[in-house]
Amino acid sequence: MHKRFGDVVALDGCTFGVKRGTMLGFLGPNGAGKTTAMRSIFGLMRPDSGQVTWDGQPIDLEQRRRFGYMPEQRGLYPRMKIHDQLAYLGRLRGMPTKEAVASAHHWLERFGLTDRGIDSLEALSHGNQQRVQLAAALIHDPVLLVLDEPFSGLDPIASETMSDILLEQAAAGKAVVFSSHQLDLVEDLCEEVAIINKGAIVVEGTVRDLKDAAPIRHLELEVDDDPTALLESLDGIRSVKTEGTRHHLVIEAGTDVRGLLARAQDAGRLRHFSYTAPSLSDLFREAVT
Amino acid sequence: MSALGIVWQIARRELRERGRSKAYLVTSAVTAILVVALVLVPRLLDGGTDIFEVGSVGSGNEAIVEAGELLGNANDEPDAEPSISISSIDFADRGSAEAALEAAEIDAILVDGSEAVVESVGGFGESQILSYLQQGAASVELEAIVAEEGDVAADVIEIMTSDPLETTTLSGQDAGDESRGAIAYAGLLLLYGAVLFYGSWILSGVTEEKTNRVVEVLLSSIKPWQLLAGKILGIGILGIGQFAGTILIAITTIQLAGIFDLPSLNALAVVNLIVWFILGFLLFAVMFGAAGSLVSRMEEAQNVAFPMSLTAVAGFFVAIATLSDADGVAAVVGTFIPLTAPFVVPVRAALEAIPGWQYAAALILTISTIIGLVFVAGRIYAGGLLRYGGRVKVREAWRSAAD
Repeated sequence: MHKRFGDVVALDGCTFGVKRGTMLGFLGPNGAGKTTAMRSIFGLMRPDSGQVTWDGQPIDLEQRRRFGYMPEQRGLYPRMKIHDQLAYLGRLRGMPTKEAVASAHHWLERFGLTDRGIDSLEALSHGNQQRVQLAAALIHDPVLLVLDEPFSGLDPIASETMSDILLEQAAAGKAVVFSSHQLDLVEDLCEEVAIINKGAIVVEGTVRDLKDAAPIRHLELEVDDDPTALLESLDGIRSVKTEGTRHHLVIEAGTDVRGLLARAQDAGRLRHFSYTAPSLSDLFREAVT
Repeated sequence: MSALGIVWQIARRELRERGRSKAYLVTSAVTAILVVALVLVPRLLDGGTDIFEVGSVGSGNEAIVEAGELLGNANDEPDAEPSISISSIDFADRGSAEAALEAAEIDAILVDGSEAVVESVGGFGESQILSYLQQGAASVELEAIVAEEGDVAADVIEIMTSDPLETTTLSGQDAGDESRGAIAYAGLLLLYGAVLFYGSWILSGVTEEKTNRVVEVLLSSIKPWQLLAGKILGIGILGIGQFAGTILIAITTIQLAGIFDLPSLNALAVVNLIVWFILGFLLFAVMFGAAGSLVSRMEEAQNVAFPMSLTAVAGFFVAIATLSDADGVAAVVGTFIPLTAPFVVPVRAALEAIPGWQYAAALILTISTIIGLVFVAGRIYAGGLLRYGGRVKVREAWRSAAD
């Protein structure tokens, strides 16, 4: 999709997909076009060119009613009772009244808010308001769940509930897309990520593949003796950072690590040795700078 | 669910949430109380019987007192409490009667049926009793002249209180015009009040949804026009309900208190008022809805609605001009401008001063304008709702509207 707001290019050939039963982390720096892309799924923004498809078909309003959306700017009716509010949103998305009411019950129970159903939204704590907002996106059992920054402003407990529910939804065969700046969390939760920068997708794939394909690896090393000679013997070092006796190295992928490990054991007593793929944060930084 | 089913869902929420809100219940109760008070207070201030006591010295006074009382009550409703009561108290001589008058024990003195004594002239009570006595004396005199036999006092009074002259006006109005004008004026006031009052509900309701950001959730599964239509329908039903209730309370109070006869309404006049009431409400509701979508904060909402309020005021004044000159230039021009037609046409129709073709043309023009506005305002609404921050320009909203 392409979208331009005056002089600002919001989407510049942004293309990505999500499969049923998969959770996709949608990452990007502020202003990269995440929210614009997500809003376009719901027809809240009309792209200058391009389209959103589901099962290969361009989506219409009827299809959108089977999607669930949690916008970045949270919003529900502050003075409406939360149970009524959830049931109302269910009905708007085509559920018969009975089903909508049952589903509102179900989600309030799930979030431990059963006895708050007759309270207005504004009477709830911030955390509970967030829960109701999530319930509003889930009320009609959507096939696709799109959440814009669902973890922002959540305490650790609420954050865990959110994670559980998203995993559960993906396990139930739903397609889940969410944006976040908490990359560690995304790494834990998501099988797949898409990174958007300046309106275009710069990285897309499974976290495992992306890590495997990364050009660098991290190496942490701690030996009793002076490691200078040992390090000099190693090719492909990009940088070395030393904290006391521990050395953090960034080396090129494909460097012979087995040889190094052997030589390190020869050189003296090896206290610590770790060889890891770069984190999602590293991949992200690499992709957007 | 069908598109109209969704419109109804939105209207239903509006009815349930707004209908049981404190604001709605309080405004309903306050207007009801106000209406009853407006009808009853003048009645209470005006009500009761004024009691006069007249000192009688000599003879020939009783007939004057009786005739004066009859004349004073001649305009009363048949079952109503009499407006005045005059009784006479006999005094042996003029001196003792004057003493009683000075002591304010009595209001006036009649002497031998030929002289009235009052404290002074010009004061409110004195002038009133004096005028009743004068009329009474005149009728007694008249009676003496016309009466050969029997009691013709009632006939005399009937003659004196009737309008024996047939009235003709140069402008061709007949006696019914007065009540038709009253209906037209009342209808005009109601329409004007409803447009501004319920229009501002729609305005603030739309802005509120934008302020709460709930539109983003709503518009992910419904179309903007459905949201606008549902809102107008819901608030329209509540507003018209409150209005009809207020009018019903007013009519009931007037009937129960027996204050005055309501001008008789014919069915056509009522239909005419209702049709233009709904058209006028819709026309302005759509515009208020679009205006509400342009701002993100309630404080800005009234500013953005200013052009609409001004249009309604203009329509009101053209219609006021129409009341006194139903065939004038302003009236005819106002008929063909869809924004003023809902105010002007019902007034002209109520005065029976609009040619059929003009009425039909105004109807078609106004309905077409409403349909056109639904599309224009719907698009501005759609574009405005999803743009936050400051006040959105109409043109920006128009352009950014998604299909």
